[in-house]
Amino acid sequence: MIASDKLWEKICAVFPILSENNQVPSEGPEVDDFKSVIKGIEVEDHTFIESLVINKIEEDMRENVAPAFWSEFYFLEDDPEKNFIRFKNAVAELNAKYLSYLPTMHRLEEMRLILNYDEPIYGETNLLVILKLIIRTVLHSQLPIPKYQTVIEEFYKLSFKVFYNADKSSRGLPLCDLNESGEDERCGGCYEIEQCRCDAIINDFHTTNRILIQLELLERLAGEVLTSLIHKQIENHVQETCKGSFNQSFISPLEKWLDTVVVGWLTRLYSSGPESPTLKEKLNVFKQKLKHLLYETYTRLRIDQLFTIIIDYPESEAAVDDLRLCLDKTDLRGYLVERLQAALQQRLLHPGVNTPDIITAYVHSIRALRGLDPSGLLLDTVTHPVRQYLRCREDTMRCVVMSLTDEGPDGDLADELARGEAIKEDLAENWETWTPPHIDTVVKSNKEKQSWDIISMLVTVYGSKEMFVHEYRNLLADRLLTQYSYNTEKEIRYLELLKLRFGDSQLHYCEVMLKDIHDSKRINTHLHSEPNFGLSKQEFRCTCMILSAQFWPPFKEETLQLPQKIKDHLDVYTKAFETLKGNRTLNWKPHLGSVSLEIELKNRTLNLTVSPTQAAIIWYFQDKIQWTIDELSSILLIPPTILRRRIAFWQSQGLIKETTTDTFCLTEEPTTGKGLKGIPDVCEDEETESITASAHDQREEELQVFWSYIVGMLTNLDSLPPERIHQMLKMFAAQGPTGVDCSLQQLKHFLDRKVREHKLLFSGGYYKLPK
Amino acid sequence: MAQNINPYFTQSSTPVKTNEGSQNKSQDNHAVTKRLQKELMVLMMSGEKGVSAFPEGENLFKWVATINGPAGTVYEGHVFRLSVEFPHSYPYSPPLVRFTSKCFHPNVDLQGNICLDILKEKWSALYDISTILISIQSLLGEPNNDSPLNSQAAEMWSNQEVFRKYLRANHSNENSKN
Repeated sequence: MIASDKLWEKICAVFPILSENNQVPSEGPEVDDFKSVIKGIEVEDHTFIESLVINKIEEDMRENVAPAFWSEFYFLEDDPEKNFIRFKNAVAELNAKYLSYLPTMHRLEEMRLILNYDEPIYGETNLLVILKLIIRTVLHSQLPIPKYQTVIEEFYKLSFKVFYNADKSSRGLPLCDLNESGEDERCGGCYEIEQCRCDAIINDFHTTNRILIQLELLERLAGEVLTSLIHKQIENHVQETCKGSFNQSFISPLEKWLDTVVVGWLTRLYSSGPESPTLKEKLNVFKQKLKHLLYETYTRLRIDQLFTIIIDYPESEAAVDDLRLCLDKTDLRGYLVERLQAALQQRLLHPGVNTPDIITAYVHSIRALRGLDPSGLLLDTVTHPVRQYLRCREDTMRCVVMSLTDEGPDGDLADELARGEAIKEDLAENWETWTPPHIDTVVKSNKEKQSWDIISMLVTVYGSKEMFVHEYRNLLADRLLTQYSYNTEKEIRYLELLKLRFGDSQLHYCEVMLKDIHDSKRINTHLHSEPNFGLSKQEFRCTCMILSAQFWPPFKEETLQLPQKIKDHLDVYTKAFETLKGNRTLNWKPHLGSVSLEIELKNRTLNLTVSPTQAAIIWYFQDKIQWTIDELSSILLIPPTILRRRIAFWQSQGLIKETTTDTFCLTEEPTTGKGLKGIPDVCEDEETESITASAHDQREEELQVFWSYIVGMLTNLDSLPPERIHQMLKMFAAQGPTGVDCSLQQLKHFLDRKVREHKLLFSGGYYKLPK
Repeated sequence: MAQNINPYFTQSSTPVKTNEGSQNKSQDNHAVTKRLQKELMVLMMSGEKGVSAFPEGENLFKWVATINGPAGTVYEGHVFRLSVEFPHSYPYSPPLVRFTSKCFHPNVDLQGNICLDILKEKWSALYDISTILISIQSLLGEPNNDSPLNSQAAEMWSNQEVFRKYLRANHSNENSKN
């Protein structure tokens, strides 16, 4: 008993941790003494003592060290630096504890050596490893989830920032451009005003890391935090540097940044610990991952901005190039297609956007995506909805034609047209550099290779050139007849350019129209120069446009009876024309054209250019000051409603006043207030209306042709389903005078309208004529 | 390079060679088709009341025609269906026109065959489908009783009232639904 007591005392002296008060004696026992103690112990008791010591250490860890360590993490300070210090302190404390266990562990080791005993504990025989294992496990068993990460994150964030800043300053960048609030004296790294503590922070950082690596705690404690921190930093950096500027390439600066800052930081972080060959490899793998992450982040950013990039295209070429390189390295094509389509849908394809804007955006996307993916498949996939949407806008073709022939500041298509035929796809493409089309974008791979010609792409939105030519003809007619100028040079130039693209036959009508104008000019000069015709003796000069009715699009019909005097003038002209041209005569369209008026009033003279209808109205006020609308309507043969709209023009000019309802009166004195003094331009919106019959009316006419075929069909074949009618029309009516195409959908719509008008019956999917 | 040419394009050139023999015929056929298309268009656009015709299906050479009994005759209110078959030699030979609905008429036999000179010996390439149909329509009101195909009808023709009654009794359920 006494012996065992004594022995216990000795053991306690050797392993002070076992003693009650748990105090490390100031001087360790002599080595000899230690050896004698060991020898005194019986062999079977060794294991007992060992496990006793280890248990004690575990207990100490559990009860004192770990709670003390984690307690530093419970409260989060507002100041990131305080958090930094707390983490540092906690780690230092832990290290101290670890060091204090070391002598004990050494003794146990020696004991094992002496007794030549190597029973594994926790699967390990090296006691140092066991100690670390114990520290790790105990720490983790008391892991306060999830707060502890914040503190660690703060720690690394701060150190990263310091490092980031150091890098910036070493590259000669101002230290303080992170906080642009004007507090220039502050160090960008540690926010210290007077003294920069960056060096101290870096020192602490190294110490802490060294300890953690030594304890093999770095990965476990901080690995996750580190990764997410770096990810965040990369994202922030990419966002910060690349946001909103598309005109320079960012790939190499970003890569350089990654290499110097992020990887540099990581290298320092790991190199605090002991050198090891696996470290380098680990770093390399990490670096690869980070690089990929960088690319991915950058690509995503660019893809999210792609709509803006496209809109800015020629300026944003660098961004497009970057994106092309990135797309090869990342797997984000699908994402691109999805995002861009969504962006287009959201920003472009809704009723709030003007058709010209959609077309501009479409043209830009063709250009930009051409840079991104030369195969054209990406473009095809992404812009498919745009094309589809444009197809359902009625004015698409009109806008395309307008922008084609518009030399204004945004006449970008006009340039494209002037550039002439698109460069044909190079057939002798180097086969060695051929790559298969990308899988994400292949939708209709059997489709012919798309040409990059912007104009033909726009024209084929509707699938046919006819539509385009048709629209062009209308526009040309409009333009020629609203300008009333005989100057057709510009139009001829466009026509020639268009002919290069669409062929002569398609544009034959337009050619005739231009020739008409040219001939009219000649005839006018001729008639006026010949004294025999008596045109030169007339009170006012009258010139006309002689149009070949066959070739011009139908005009909007309006009735107008011109005053007798004017009619006489025109008759003289007709006579002269008849003399000149033999068997031909003129069929006047009195409501089209323009009249230059000089109106003399009591105290002023007005010079105006107005439409014939307006001129005729004011003409009648010459003789009689007051007219009722019915009187005017019967003289001019214009329906009162239209007449009223025309009179509105003169009211706005302050010449005519509606004294009582339906009675109009000429006022010679300019009325104060709304007297617009002789502004010689026409300010009625009516004027901007097209003079050709609207596309809708024309379409009606075309459908009318179909209607007679449909009636014929149903008379003879009783009842038919719409598909059959459509098929029959395509087979038999397509050769008709118009040769228009009509989709099944349109046809159904048309047939249903006829059903509503009681001209058809519909039952069981079949249409038939009513009995 | 040659073998990489899209077969879609090469295909179009080969059949021409093999068909060289029949090319002539198909060109003829094309002319007939064109003429029939045109006749159809003229007929459709003319807005002619009382006669009408339309290809039966995909085949442009086989039409269905409809003739309303001419007003003021015993056939008023009756509607007749006919079939028109154009030969490939059209318009140099006449089309084969038959009544498909029952037609009790001196010059129409019980199978619907019509005895009309312009459909036989007096055919001319200047006639077209609308002249044929109008001729048949007028034949309904003015039969040629000298060469009857249906002698019963020819005999009955002299008494228009009896004829009308007979028509109503025998055909009304079939032809004059409207």
